[in-house]
Amino acid sequence: MESLDKQIRDKARELLTSGAFACVMGYERATDGKTARPLFAYTPEEAERFVFDQYCTHNLARYLINWRDNKKSVGIVAKPCDTRAINLLINEKQIDRSKLYVIGVACQGIMEVGWGAPTEKLELRCNTCSEPNPVLHDLLVGEFKSESPAAAKAYADVAAIEGKSAEERDGFWQEHFSRCIRCYACRQSCVGCYCQECFVDELDPLWVGIKVAPAENTVWHTIRAFHLAGRCISCNECERVCPVDIPLSLLNRKLEKDGLELFQFQAGMDASVTPPFATFKKGEKLGTGD
Amino acid sequence: MARIGVFVCHCGTNIAGVVSIPAVLEAAKKMPGVVVAADDKYSCSDPGQAHIRAVIEQNKLNRVVIGSCSPRMHEFTFRKVMVKAGLNPYFLEVANIREQVSWVHSNDKEKATAKAIDHVMIAVAKVARDEALFPKRVPLTKRALVIGAGITGIQAALDIASAGHPVTLVEREASIGGHMAQLDKTFPTLDCSACILTPKMVEVAQHPNITLLTYSEVRQVSGFVGNFDVEIVKKARKVDSKKCTGCGVCWLKCPEKVPAEFNEGLGTREAIYVPFPQAVPLVPRVDLENCRYIKYLEYMPGKTPGKRPMQCRICEKLCPVQALDWEQQDEVVKEKFGAIVVATGYKTFDPSVCGEYGGGKLPDVISGLQLERMFNSSGPTGGEVLRPSDGTHPKTVVLVSCVGSRDEQRGRPYCSKICCMYTAKQTILLKEHDPEVQCYVFYIDIRTGGKDYEEFARRAQEEYGALYLRGRISRIYEDGKQLVVLGEDSLMGRPVEIRADMVVLATGVEANEGAAELAQTMKLSHDVYDFLTEAHPKLKPVETQTDGILVAGACVGPKDIPECVAQGGAAAAKVSALFSQEMLTSDPMVASVDNARCIGCLLCVQVCPYKAIDTQVLRNGRTVAVVNESLCRACGLCPAVCRPKAVNLRGFTNQQLLAEVNALWQ
Repeated sequence: MESLDKQIRDKARELLTSGAFACVMGYERATDGKTARPLFAYTPEEAERFVFDQYCTHNLARYLINWRDNKKSVGIVAKPCDTRAINLLINEKQIDRSKLYVIGVACQGIMEVGWGAPTEKLELRCNTCSEPNPVLHDLLVGEFKSESPAAAKAYADVAAIEGKSAEERDGFWQEHFSRCIRCYACRQSCVGCYCQECFVDELDPLWVGIKVAPAENTVWHTIRAFHLAGRCISCNECERVCPVDIPLSLLNRKLEKDGLELFQFQAGMDASVTPPFATFKKGEKLGTGD
Repeated sequence: MARIGVFVCHCGTNIAGVVSIPAVLEAAKKMPGVVVAADDKYSCSDPGQAHIRAVIEQNKLNRVVIGSCSPRMHEFTFRKVMVKAGLNPYFLEVANIREQVSWVHSNDKEKATAKAIDHVMIAVAKVARDEALFPKRVPLTKRALVIGAGITGIQAALDIASAGHPVTLVEREASIGGHMAQLDKTFPTLDCSACILTPKMVEVAQHPNITLLTYSEVRQVSGFVGNFDVEIVKKARKVDSKKCTGCGVCWLKCPEKVPAEFNEGLGTREAIYVPFPQAVPLVPRVDLENCRYIKYLEYMPGKTPGKRPMQCRICEKLCPVQALDWEQQDEVVKEKFGAIVVATGYKTFDPSVCGEYGGGKLPDVISGLQLERMFNSSGPTGGEVLRPSDGTHPKTVVLVSCVGSRDEQRGRPYCSKICCMYTAKQTILLKEHDPEVQCYVFYIDIRTGGKDYEEFARRAQEEYGALYLRGRISRIYEDGKQLVVLGEDSLMGRPVEIRADMVVLATGVEANEGAAELAQTMKLSHDVYDFLTEAHPKLKPVETQTDGILVAGACVGPKDIPECVAQGGAAAAKVSALFSQEMLTSDPMVASVDNARCIGCLLCVQVCPYKAIDTQVLRNGRTVAVVNESLCRACGLCPAVCRPKAVNLRGFTNQQLLAEVNALWQ
């Protein structure tokens, strides 16, 4: 069987040679020789640099939004979690499926890259992953997995926090939020955060105070979590890029868990399903409490 | 710079008796932007209005806050004062210090005063952020669509047409008339149903302002009041209605016989047929399911296995005007209408789910509508009441009321309203058809609200000897040629057993098939039983939440003929009033989209219950949402779901709401 790299390179070259494609996004080897970085190939020659391995960590679907109003098509190398992000964008009319070519990669899990030091440890998202196969693809490379080994413990850490008292939870989050420097890296890396003007940048009305302080930080993270409710696809990019290590995925996966329990809905699994925010079905539960 | 005037109304002692007006005025004068604070005994009175106007002019105010009753009461009055004083009417905020303060906190005057000050403070903060708004004027199409041509739709169409406006009357069945055409006599006067209905049917057919579309269905409705775009499917009759003279030779000679729906399954009809002799229009239709030639056409191309059907075409051969048109296809008509009257009527409860009544398996247990067809001289038995099993005259008849009504277990807890009366009517007619008949009626309550109704029901018992037994039936079973009816007489407190020749089930009223789907295409709301919901059950009985769409008759809930006729007329009056305007003005306090902020996720389009949001492509190729101001009802769902805050409700913008909240927390 051909290597992943060759399959991706062949397809990318073919797409770029056809002339209908503006760009193919994927990964290339970083300068450290071990980890990977995004590659935007515009010419067939550049396609020769594509690689794929367990260090291809970025969710490239984030960049699709830049091609929203482009007349040409784009190609993208997508891991299973990235394909869910693509579905989210299709559902929210941000990209046209017909102008997109998805090279789906059946994923073996992604290794954590610490501060410049690649490890042999699986990332958190892979340890809680419930869908190891691309949910959307035009070309599939790699082996399809029949089931996810990590599905059972998908929400174990969320349940642990849920078990705590309100005061404990408040203390937990206040401690984390007090460290936030409001660099907005979480927002910049997020597929769901594509507003022209983010609420946090607005001056009239001033939704969030400009001061970097625990109260303002709490408002920022809470509203961002709510804006991602029913939309977050758990790629955990926000947590990965956070320079002060706030466990943001706990917040987002709590909302994902609620969405599953209340509405049997998980974002990005199927682009044609109306999200729970936009519909009401008879017999739906109205809340988590009594 | 905002120059705000605060006016506090005493409302006699309604407000002043609880809230300290001087304290509110004192506090108001210190609020930011407030130039003057004044009070009135009654702000809504003529001297009160004149005072407000004078103060506005003296102090050159440009914003006004009035602390008074609920804005639902007098906001409109005060807006007119604003206009008279030369200000935009939307530079006004009403602080409700009566219903929300003085009336509910009369036991604590101090706290009530503090709350009144808060209310005024919130309004002052909001009014400073108010923007001038201007209503839009849109043209309207003075043409009405009436859906459903039962007695309600017929009445509505006739009344609108007589007011001089063109009407299109759409009916799903091949003839107009609806359920009333199936009835023999009508309570409480026992006049012949056809005799009073058919003149109206003919009038509809002949009225120059009415376009009649039978065997047609409304498929798609879009647009808004004054400008609805409607798609109507004219189903293929396979008969050219322009050529057909209604001579009847085709259905006389058609060899195929199928159970007649119009006769509730009693007797047969042909595969080319008119439902009843007085049908309007008197143009037959070919039943595509049962016609032999259609079956042959379907068989031929693929030679599907099975016996080759006969290629009959007798109707075509005998038709003197060659009206048969086998090539005819469904046709889609697209038209513009200014108003729509929905009068889709009802259907009767299907008693086959009721095991205790034989579950539809006992031939001599029939429904009220079946008995109605037997009474009718053009019905399946030629006007004779006969047992379906052996064709003999029944001598003992049991009538059971509340079948599919007031029955929570079967999900029909409501009263169907008409059954008590039609059961009484049927006991009278049974006795008149055959004086030897003895009727027994099992009932829960006898409900006869209506002019001359109670007298009529008493006559059934006293003059016609119907025996009324209060109680439910537990079981009906066959014993030889007779039916044994087991029940209880709850007044006497003992079980009853009656050997009957026939049992008539007074089946209740249900929402018509497809009513909920039709409601959804028009974004009308319906209840759990699929009956359409009116705008207000008492004060707006024929209006809906969608302007320009009216509901009438039994599609809203069980109704008798007089009520249906009254509602049809009422809906027509509303349509005529709407059409008396040359242009429609739309309320400017609706949602609007900021193109620069909109990200085109179109979640707003999905949540809008009124289909008021559309998309537009900007010059840079970006797709964004755009609000149709005539359709928007300012419900506030779209601003709530909009993440980038691109949608705002005019008059309740995010800036205004946040200003209110900030005012409270300072």
